[in-house]
Amino acid sequence: MIAMPSHTATVAMEVNDTTVAAAVETRTSLAEFLRVQAGLTGTKLGCEHGVCGACTVLVDDEPTRGCLVFAAQVDGKKVRTVEGLADGRALNRLQQAFHENFGLQCGFCTGGILMSMTSLMEKEPNPSREQIVEWLSGHLCRCTGYETIINAVLAAVAGGEDLR
Amino acid sequence: MTWQTSSHRSTPMVAARSVGRSVLRSEDPRLLSGGGRYLADLSLPRELHAALLRSNEAHSRLLAVDVSEAQALPGVHLVWTGADVATFCQGIEGALAVDGCIATVMPLLARDTLHYVGEPIALVVADSRAIAEDAMELISVTTEPLPPVTDPNAALEAGSPLANEQLAGNVGLRGGASFGPVDECFAVAHRVVEETYHTGRLSPTPMETRGVIASYDWASQELKLWTSTQMPHLIRYFVTAYLGIQENLVEVLTPDTGGGFGQKAHLFVEELLMPLASRELNRPVKWVEDRRENLMVAGQAHEQFITIALALDSDNHITAMRTRALGDGGAFHQPPWSMAVEPWCAAAVTPQGVYNVKTLEYTYEAAATNKAPVGAYRGVGYMAGTYAREAIIDEAARAVGMSPFDFRRLNVVKQLPWVNGQGVTYDEGSWLESIDRLEQMVGYEEFRERQLAARAEGRYLGLGISVFVESTGESTAMGKAHGLPDVYHDTATVRMDPNGTVTVTLGLTTQGQGNRTTAAQVAADMMGVRPEDVTVIAGDSTRHTYGSGTVASRGAIIAAGAIGRAAGPLRDKLLAVAANMLEISTDDIELADGRASVRGDSEASVSIADVATSVYFDDSVWPEGFDPGLEATFAYDAGRPMFSNGAQAALVEVDPFTGFVTVDTMYVIEDCGTVINPGIVDGQIRGGAVQGIGAALFEQLLYDDAGQLTTTTLMDYHLPTADVIPVFKIEHLQTPSSHTWNGAKGMGESAMIAAPAAVLNAVNDAIAPFGAILRDIPITPEDVLRAIGQVTD
Ligand code: FES
Ligand code: FES
Repeated sequence: MIAMPSHTATVAMEVNDTTVAAAVETRTSLAEFLRVQAGLTGTKLGCEHGVCGACTVLVDDEPTRGCLVFAAQVDGKKVRTVEGLADGRALNRLQQAFHENFGLQCGFCTGGILMSMTSLMEKEPNPSREQIVEWLSGHLCRCTGYETIINAVLAAVAGGEDLR
Repeated sequence: MTWQTSSHRSTPMVAARSVGRSVLRSEDPRLLSGGGRYLADLSLPRELHAALLRSNEAHSRLLAVDVSEAQALPGVHLVWTGADVATFCQGIEGALAVDGCIATVMPLLARDTLHYVGEPIALVVADSRAIAEDAMELISVTTEPLPPVTDPNAALEAGSPLANEQLAGNVGLRGGASFGPVDECFAVAHRVVEETYHTGRLSPTPMETRGVIASYDWASQELKLWTSTQMPHLIRYFVTAYLGIQENLVEVLTPDTGGGFGQKAHLFVEELLMPLASRELNRPVKWVEDRRENLMVAGQAHEQFITIALALDSDNHITAMRTRALGDGGAFHQPPWSMAVEPWCAAAVTPQGVYNVKTLEYTYEAAATNKAPVGAYRGVGYMAGTYAREAIIDEAARAVGMSPFDFRRLNVVKQLPWVNGQGVTYDEGSWLESIDRLEQMVGYEEFRERQLAARAEGRYLGLGISVFVESTGESTAMGKAHGLPDVYHDTATVRMDPNGTVTVTLGLTTQGQGNRTTAAQVAADMMGVRPEDVTVIAGDSTRHTYGSGTVASRGAIIAAGAIGRAAGPLRDKLLAVAANMLEISTDDIELADGRASVRGDSEASVSIADVATSVYFDDSVWPEGFDPGLEATFAYDAGRPMFSNGAQAALVEVDPFTGFVTVDTMYVIEDCGTVINPGIVDGQIRGGAVQGIGAALFEQLLYDDAGQLTTTTLMDYHLPTADVIPVFKIEHLQTPSSHTWNGAKGMGESAMIAAPAAVLNAVNDAIAPFGAILRDIPITPEDVLRAIGQVTD
């Protein structure tokens, strides 16, 4: 077998309100771009095949598996990651609710889950428990057994509409 | 306010201001804002990236490995095969120190033979992981097939091919013991119930895979080794032993760890290969496991065939039992737990569980197969052992026409202390009470009515229960009590600074259990300050205090014990200086809420910060001959085994058309003594129980007859998701241990230990109207449909 020749592309995107531009190999995934080029390691890789959801970020407000898209596909778009969630130097309401409800243990799955739940709450300010469970089912958490995560999101939802 | 007392050693009366409360985790804000630094998040200047070419055959002669093309690829710095690394290290030896375990030596990279799919053949180090993987494609491997050994039962038959030439007869472990007149009891038994149960092969699947970064510096000769491990000190010991690097020159560092569950409590070849490559190249070398590798090779677990026979008398008392546990061990012993720990623990440690059976015999065996080595996973040995025992208890209850609660109540040990057949004394617990409480919690009679009503509508509900006792707090004494002569101990340093804040340094690492928070609670109460005033350094470098590893439900007991011992003398100093400041006897002073106060006089007090300042800077209030400073280091090893116990019930519904099992509710009774932090403890219960539900219904690593692993993605290996979890009802019975520092007992594994049997028993209860019974997990929808006769072929 012959090794693949590598190609590079210049990619620029707005990550958490800051423009990040870099020349990368075209095979670079969005998650890798965020972790290496943008230096934002809060986006995790748990499987690199689209199942675990640890790599979930918002691309133009849509939850997206960072391991399944190439950075080049996101050129010119807006990306939000877990590092952009906090309200200044305080946890935002969703993060705070995870804290108060023991919604995390090792924290490896947490960033991706927070991004999906952010998107859910932006689309549906008052989601039902069933909707939360449905959205959460796209994520794997090996530590918590999920119940405290559901409770955390319910608590955040009960706290009002504006996530900040 | 509650006061906790304990007769253990010299435990002082401590005001329990934070122990017992759901103190929010200090770990969270950093992890919630993306600030966690896990292994893959670290990068070092000039680092190179490693990938491992792994066998895609289960059993073959390895005739040739040609790496020349790979070596020539631009960006590749090193390609090693088995022969290259054998010059540095012949391999790692594995065995458990129990009777009948036969050691193996596992090469770092395969030499003459490939023993399992995933066995590493070559190491490639390159400028990037992608280039390393490109180079792997250029390596050509020539092999000649050997017969694969995939069935552990067949493996032990005479004439079976060998899975690993080091293990004659494919026996990696064989032993057993007999206590009392077992044969006579069976000969005169009114009834004998005997069945075989199979627990599937699992992957612990922490969401963070394994990873290693090694950085060797020729000038200082120092090696820094970052690894995602539960036992950094043991890794350092192994690294120095196998690679001949002096211990003082090796630092093992443990960054944030994304779950371990026992998988990360082993020595893996990658932890030796990366240091070797770094030393060779004089550059940092980083290896991050991908999910396929994790499922393929990173410590598979729990697969056993367990046969149990119960002898019953005419009053339905169990008079004797026989247990045979057979583990499917894979091709090598993975140190330190090896293929032995699973069947040995299932058969030898507590085959009788909470039941009053002193006449018993057991055998344990591990068969070598051409599969990846097994290791420890949460509840190692206990889960499968409890699974089989609680399953046959249910079958026996059904056979004699008793309710599962009544049959258990009849046979449970009612009077503690109790010495089991093997001579182990069980002195604390709530064994009978946990069964009674569980029955009330589920509302058993009322459930039976609901079940009947549902059946009339064609719906199949089932209730299954599972009762356990676990030896927790892995210590030297616990190992010895059960026949495993290993030595465990941990050290803590506690320091109070001049302004009254505290730093605790532990040898215990954390993989998400929140040990930093619970340790801070224990230290805070000892020193009379708030948990927010305590920083805990939890095993993140071997430069800090020694620890035997965060394994086997030992964190709470061992951390509390070590912190308690180290904080004791500091507490005495605070009391002595405060007494001088307040001009009163030390006996009349309480340390709590940040103040040293005179008991019964709310006005007379001085802040602990002021006392600490005086200890450092004001010798006028020092007692005669005062030993200055506020820092102490002590080691701790629990003096005896500590037994947690509990009971669980699963309420399930089985869909007779799809075969799908829904777990509606898990009822949990847990007695882990003093609950340090209910939020954290209940989190361990939920997480463990959901892992148990995964084991019971969804998860299985599957090998085909050729020894090919067919479950190499998370699409094939099904972890439980949020839409399949039950509602939890959790109650604590608190029997504080008089043997631990603050009465806490271990509990990290208990829910995983108990849940699978509860689910199986519930499914069997649900499908009983079909005359069907299942004995193997995971229970797939197809298994259910076959059992109830909906699918035949
Ligand atoms: S890493 Fe992208 S889904 Fe798992
Ligand atoms: S908190 Fe560990 S995987 Fe979710």
